[in-house]
Amino acid sequence: MDSQKVDMFLMTNAKYFQAKHLNYIRERLQVADDSKWPLLQSADLKDPTTSLIISIFAGSLGIDRFIIGDTGLGVGKLLTCGGLGIWAIVDWFLISDATKAKNMEKLQMFL
Amino acid sequence: MTRNRLYLFLFLGLIAGYSYVLWESYVRIFNHPFTPCIFKNTTGIACPSCGVTRSVLLLMQGGLTSAILMNPLGLVVAAIMAIAPLWLLYDVSLKKNTLYNSYLKTEKVLRIPWIAILLFILIAANWAWNIHKGL
Repeated sequence: MDSQKVDMFLMTNAKYFQAKHLNYIRERLQVADDSKWPLLQSADLKDPTTSLIISIFAGSLGIDRFIIGDTGLGVGKLLTCGGLGIWAIVDWFLISDATKAKNMEKLQMFL
Repeated sequence: MTRNRLYLFLFLGLIAGYSYVLWESYVRIFNHPFTPCIFKNTTGIACPSCGVTRSVLLLMQGGLTSAILMNPLGLVVAAIMAIAPLWLLYDVSLKKNTLYNSYLKTEKVLRIPWIAILLFILIAANWAWNIHKGL
């Protein structure tokens, strides 16, 4: 893939990934085939800010975890009133990183 | 989530759960109106899982019907709390992945649309019942 395309992808999508992964993504995309481009565009990436807002308002029902695809943890959170309220508060600080990690997992399938 | 992470998390969760139930069973004697639920403390109405602790405590005293009437989700939580420690011990001591594999399988099943919708409706109905009961 030519570097202009890679730069464009990284510019529009940098906020969806952890900073430590950006270099790795750039390297992998540069050696990737051009046919991967439509797949990359269709990857269902979640916005960390949205999940943070959901976590603040509906975190004690586990909805933030369901949204990013951590269904098992979501059920756990729902059944325990957000881990007795403690887990819900801890997740306000963890959820955006968890979202970025999940996005990386999704992208990993195409790289 | 990796296997070891899930097991550590489950282990800590079980310790927290058991100590909370133990603590609550002592505190109940003094009729202390404490609730850790953020949702209930901010809005004043019960959340879908309010009453689970009371349901588990009732179940421990042998009151199956009263536990279901308090909150049916209490049975699910009690089952998890009873089975998970043994399963965890089995997997860790024999270095197996059975719990992790079934966790992943359950997650996959829960993502099937019609099952997810059905469970969502059940949780919503239980929530409405909770609010109606005034937990």
